[in-house]
Amino acid sequence: MKKIQIEQERTEKTKIDWDGIKSRINSLHEMLSKKIILSPEEKRSILKARAQVLAVEKKDETFQKEFIEIVVFQLAAETYGIESTFIREVYPLHDFTTLPDTPSFILGIVNVRGQIISVIDLKKFFNLPEKGLGELNKVIILHNEQMEFGILADIIYGTSSILLTDIQASPVSTNGIGAGYLRGVTGDHIIILDAKKILEDEKIIIHQEAD
Amino acid sequence: MRYFLNLSTRAKLLFSFGLIWLMFLMVAIIAYRGLQDITWSEKELHDVHFTIALELRQLRSHQNFNRAAVLDMMLTKNKTEQLAIEAIINERGQEISSIMQKLSKLNVDPLFQLRLKELGSEIDTYRQTRKEEIALIQNGKIEEAQKLGMTTQKDRFEKIRLSSSEMGDNATKEADDQLALDQQQANSAILLFAVFGIAELLFSIAMIMLLNKTIAQPLNEITKIASLIAEGDLNVELSVVERKDEVGILSQAFTRMISVLKKMATTAQQIASGDLTGNIIPQSEKDILGNAFLQMLNNLRRMTKDILEGVNLIASSSSEILAATTQVASGAAETASAINETTTTVEEVRQAAQLSSQKANRVSENAQQVSQVTQTGQQAVEETVKGMYHIQDQMGSVANTIIRLSEQSQQIGGIIASVNDVADQSNLLAVNASIEAAKAGEQGKGFAVVAQEIKSLAQQSKQATIQVRNILSDIQKATSAAVMATEQTSKAVENGVKQSTQTGESIKRLADSSSKSVEAAVQIVASSQQQVVGMDQIGLAMNNINQAGTENAASMMQAEKAAKGLNELGQKLKRLIEQYKI
Repeated sequence: MKKIQIEQERTEKTKIDWDGIKSRINSLHEMLSKKIILSPEEKRSILKARAQVLAVEKKDETFQKEFIEIVVFQLAAETYGIESTFIREVYPLHDFTTLPDTPSFILGIVNVRGQIISVIDLKKFFNLPEKGLGELNKVIILHNEQMEFGILADIIYGTSSILLTDIQASPVSTNGIGAGYLRGVTGDHIIILDAKKILEDEKIIIHQEAD
Repeated sequence: MRYFLNLSTRAKLLFSFGLIWLMFLMVAIIAYRGLQDITWSEKELHDVHFTIALELRQLRSHQNFNRAAVLDMMLTKNKTEQLAIEAIINERGQEISSIMQKLSKLNVDPLFQLRLKELGSEIDTYRQTRKEEIALIQNGKIEEAQKLGMTTQKDRFEKIRLSSSEMGDNATKEADDQLALDQQQANSAILLFAVFGIAELLFSIAMIMLLNKTIAQPLNEITKIASLIAEGDLNVELSVVERKDEVGILSQAFTRMISVLKKMATTAQQIASGDLTGNIIPQSEKDILGNAFLQMLNNLRRMTKDILEGVNLIASSSSEILAATTQVASGAAETASAINETTTTVEEVRQAAQLSSQKANRVSENAQQVSQVTQTGQQAVEETVKGMYHIQDQMGSVANTIIRLSEQSQQIGGIIASVNDVADQSNLLAVNASIEAAKAGEQGKGFAVVAQEIKSLAQQSKQATIQVRNILSDIQKATSAAVMATEQTSKAVENGVKQSTQTGESIKRLADSSSKSVEAAVQIVASSQQQVVGMDQIGLAMNNINQAGTENAASMMQAEKAAKGLNELGQKLKRLIEQYKI
């Protein structure tokens, strides 16, 4: 008798609410089968919210002052910025071709819409310590009148406007990067690289004739 | 005296008799010496003094004869006669010479020797003169011869005669003296002899008394005591003499013997009075009496002990027998009552057997019902097993469905990855757009806004993909949990199948056992009928036992009496044997 009682209790405990499950599945099914159609009010509200966000940014007082446009990206553990006037474009790095007999900072060459562009690893160029593996799957293509080459980046955050007055002179040697390649550091700890110097640096120019 | 007492008896006897013997020897020596002296003296008397006297008388007679012959010659004229007389004279002269020679050989004092020489020379001269006288006679000159004879020859003759007679008298006188001396000597010898003899006699008497006192009297005493001991009287005391001779040793040995005998006697008295605790130490290994006594005592002790044990055993056994018989007697009474009870019990058992036979009939009916029930139970179990198998199949399909669901969610993941890629690229595109806008300067500002919009869209879609990915991983976890649950369920179902199979088997066994119970019930019916018969037989047997019990009780009474007698005997024996102390 006792055994039977225990079994009854068990069945009561483990009894599954099949009806509830069925109704939940049905409602989900209905939700999935329904197309996501936003009402005009909803759309409007979304757009309005976005507009407000954008408007807030525009209200910034710095607008009147002198500022520069930079592209912010991450390399290793640091966040860097480069003036966007020296940047042709950013490009996802899918595959590249290594070049023999070149310095180690030259990763290789990539094909960007039919144009061959060499790619430099700034970490190696600046002799920065290798801190773990980054993504290194983005290329920022720098250019001026004479040079055009890409540098590797882990993450590209986007463009940003920075007041020139915000840029402070960096300490003498920040992370081993020569002071000549730096323009300074912002309050947000973005290291502003001097793209002009990098582009004009003669080290970059590799001229080696085959014997 | 002490020293003498300590001498051994042999030494004492040797000493006493030796002394006596020595005295005898002395007496004998003294006597012998005296007799020898006398003998010597007599011999000297005879050989010297009497010889001298006799020979000298002979000499004188020869001398006288020769003188007479010469005178004869003178008177005879006949020549032949003269010649004959001369021959006789020469013969006598020869004899005189031989006497002289004999006398000269005698061992006498020098004075006598001197006088003998003088006599000899006188005789020689006389002989010369006689020769002259004879020659004269033969020549016829008788007168001249007479004259010669009457003068010188006559003087000479007288002289010889006087001298020889004097010498003879002297010799006789000496002989008399000698005799007197001998007498004296003999007297003194007799005196000495007498003295020694008396001394010896006295000494012998003293020795006899001494020996009597030192040997015979103690021996006599010991003998008396020995005869007393022989008669069995041990209340004797021997005065202990500190002596080292045989008598002393004998008396000491006797004393020791008496003490040993007394000890034995006291021990024997103890034994006689029943005290066996005394101890006996045999004097030596050869002490037959002591050893025998010891053995006897030991045997007596052992025997008494054994008897005591035996008696105790008898006493205890008899009391045990008594107790046993009383128990048996009471047991017999109990048995009688028990038999009565048993008889009634047998009757009850008989009724019970009948009852059990009825019950067994009912049991067999019940068992048949049970077998029917088990058959239905078996069917139910089979159906359950079938249901279980069905559940297992269903569970398999559920698992498959879940796995398909999981695969589809994987596909969704792939789609999400591509969406993420698109968002990335859109982001880059937006960056490029904003760069281009920046290059365009003031004209590009609106474009920059669009680029910003694109960028935010890209970020939103990326966040959406992240959310979807999280949801997908949740789904993945849920599906794997569901798969696990179905697996467990399938296992549980398997167990259920197994258990229900077991249940079926148990029910089968139950059916078997119920059919067996039917058989058993039939057997019980049969055996309970047999029991009824057996119970009747037991009733009869009980009656027999009852009779035997009463007979047993009677014989137990007798046994009890016998045991009582035995017990009394044991007590008596115990009292008897307890007089002996071990």
